[in-house]
Amino acid sequence: MGLFSNWDLKPRDYDKIVDQKLPNAEKVLNESQYDTKLGLNMARDARKVINGSMKIDDFHKVYSSSLTMEFGSYYASDTPDTKKTNKGPKWVMVIDLQKCIGCDTCTVSCKAENRTPPGISYNVVMESLEGEFPNIKAMNLPRPCMQCDKPACAQVCPTRATYKMENGIVVIDNDRCIGCRYCIVACPYGARSFDFGDSYEQEMTGYNDVTSPEYGVERGERKKGKTPIGTVRKCSFCFHRLQRGEEPACVETCIGDARFFGDINDPNSVVSKLAASPRAFRLKEELGTQPSVIYLR
Amino acid sequence: MSNLALKLEHKSTKSTDTKVFKIWISALTVAFLAGGYFIVERMITGLSATNLSSITPWGAWIAFYIFFVGLSAGSFLLSTLIYVFGMEEYERIGKAALFTAIVCMIVALTFVLMDLGRPERLMNAIIYWNVTSPLGWEVHFYLVYIALLMVELYIAMREDLVRAANTNTLKGFVARLLTSKNSTINTLTKKRDHMWMKILGTIGIPIAILGVHGGTGTIFAMVKARPAWNTAIFPIIFVVSAMVSGTALLLAMYVIKRKVQKKPIDQKMIISLSKLMAGFLIIDLGLQFYEYLTGWYGLEIEHLDTLATMMASDLSWSFWGVQMFLGAVVPLTIVFWKKTNQNINALLVAAILIVVGIIGVRFNIVVPSLIVPVFHELPWGDYFPTVKEWMVSVGVVAMGLLIYSIGELLLPIEETSEEVSHNGK
Ligand code: SF4
Ligand code: SF4
Repeated sequence: MGLFSNWDLKPRDYDKIVDQKLPNAEKVLNESQYDTKLGLNMARDARKVINGSMKIDDFHKVYSSSLTMEFGSYYASDTPDTKKTNKGPKWVMVIDLQKCIGCDTCTVSCKAENRTPPGISYNVVMESLEGEFPNIKAMNLPRPCMQCDKPACAQVCPTRATYKMENGIVVIDNDRCIGCRYCIVACPYGARSFDFGDSYEQEMTGYNDVTSPEYGVERGERKKGKTPIGTVRKCSFCFHRLQRGEEPACVETCIGDARFFGDINDPNSVVSKLAASPRAFRLKEELGTQPSVIYLR
Repeated sequence: MSNLALKLEHKSTKSTDTKVFKIWISALTVAFLAGGYFIVERMITGLSATNLSSITPWGAWIAFYIFFVGLSAGSFLLSTLIYVFGMEEYERIGKAALFTAIVCMIVALTFVLMDLGRPERLMNAIIYWNVTSPLGWEVHFYLVYIALLMVELYIAMREDLVRAANTNTLKGFVARLLTSKNSTINTLTKKRDHMWMKILGTIGIPIAILGVHGGTGTIFAMVKARPAWNTAIFPIIFVVSAMVSGTALLLAMYVIKRKVQKKPIDQKMIISLSKLMAGFLIIDLGLQFYEYLTGWYGLEIEHLDTLATMMASDLSWSFWGVQMFLGAVVPLTIVFWKKTNQNINALLVAAILIVVGIIGVRFNIVVPSLIVPVFHELPWGDYFPTVKEWMVSVGVVAMGLLIYSIGELLLPIEETSEEVSHNGK
């Protein structure tokens, strides 16, 4: 568009139009009872703050005394609290149920990525039919661990083997877990499994040779009686993949592009925007577990 | 059962005593060894020896664990009726009640150990105590409780130990190990012992009710993911059913022991004890009724499913047959029917049935809630204990009975009529 046109307006031209329409700042300020120079300087520096060449704290430092002089008790502003916004990411997953076709690719890729033994699947797709024939509708509900903000599993764990990290992921320390399975009982989403020590070695030679570095811990070979056997396991949002800057396996492989992953602390991330959608909901919200997996209905 | 200290009074019955005792001990040893084989196997193969799954993660061992915690709390609370509230009519079973409470706790904790995926890490629950975990609290309460029971039993036995220390028997030998040389019995020590029994019993009551048994109830009641457990009345039901089973067990043990020893049975005490037991049972049934009623009336699908699994499925024999019919209807009929309520044998049957019924209660607490999955679309659980699970349970229970029998052989647990007249005054 406009590749061969000389008559197209450039941003510069728009600026000019705006400048013509703007009232003269000096004139306007002169009419007020307050200091004209202060107003002009502040306007200049405010632009700097917005384009990032000046820190908001410095802006306040420079002007707070003159503002107090000028406005007296009417002036009541102070440096805004900017410390808290500097947190790291907090990971969430958004799953669009309208896009999910129930193909279970996520389930399979998760099993491949995390090399989970028979009987353990961190992710499942729960399928159900609604309505009566012929007016039926299929519902596919993929279910990883919800990485709850108020995790029931961590609350009941007697040894603090399960805990919540800053980045939102709920971790199991398999070296500390005593295998009491209280967390499995307490998880309202059925997201946890006990590792009974089964193996695919019969069907798949070499299955035992290597395990997935869950939570960033390399455990090498899968052997009888060796951790994590005898402890509890669950989805970790593929923490080991996040560490090298990759998305969780299920997100990457999703055929319907139904899964989104990102940082909810960043208001501009895709997940933040999707989370604000009126379609957004979370599972069993009434329990107060505050899941980090958000569904779009 | 042989009671060597009594041989002076009961010379004539001694030989049959020893014979019965020997048969008893060898039967227990066989059971313990048979179970022991499976315990060792379980330790090697891990939990794949069980029928448990990630849908039904708890099963028979957890049911037995809460059953024995209940027996323990129940017998302890019965002992406080004697030592704290001065109900002397039950004096005869006071020390037996305390000792039963200790042994039951040992059995209960052994079941927990059997159930852990990583038994060797048991200490982690103490080292890394998570204060928001009911289970974390329980482990600590159990230890405090066992310590308290041991001290209390020692004080309750002190006079008998001092007395036994002068005799030249096995019991005397143990007694000499346990008492210092110049321990005496006089009115002052009697008063002191009695005061301590009262103090410890009083401290023990809240620990037993709130900590040990109510606390075990909260392990379940705090789980909001399982609506059938998540009620405030649940821990109370736990405590009341503990009282039911504890009373029944002590009644049964007392009668059986006396019968084997061919000693006179205190009929008046048995009858009043059976009334107490029936009273607890009726309260228990009333609470359960309201528990099921509110659950059912709420029409919450998962709750209804759990009730249906318990009362109208393949497993419902455990609820209607064991818990309700054998464990409640039959014993209550025996205790209140004129023709049977003076008959010691009938009351003995009632007590045994109640204990069996409470085992059913414990299974019906643990299993049905865990058969129903947390989402309807997930697979339903399918659980019945394997032979290995039963055999491990047999082994652990046999171990408890062995500890009890040997303890009774070595310690002056059993009351002689002479002691009853002044102890606890
Ligand atoms: S979904 Fe379950 S396992 Fe995952 S954080 Fe929540 S309570 Fe814990
Ligand atoms: S099984 Fe492990 S992670 Fe789960 S509650 Fe027990 S100790 Fe904690």
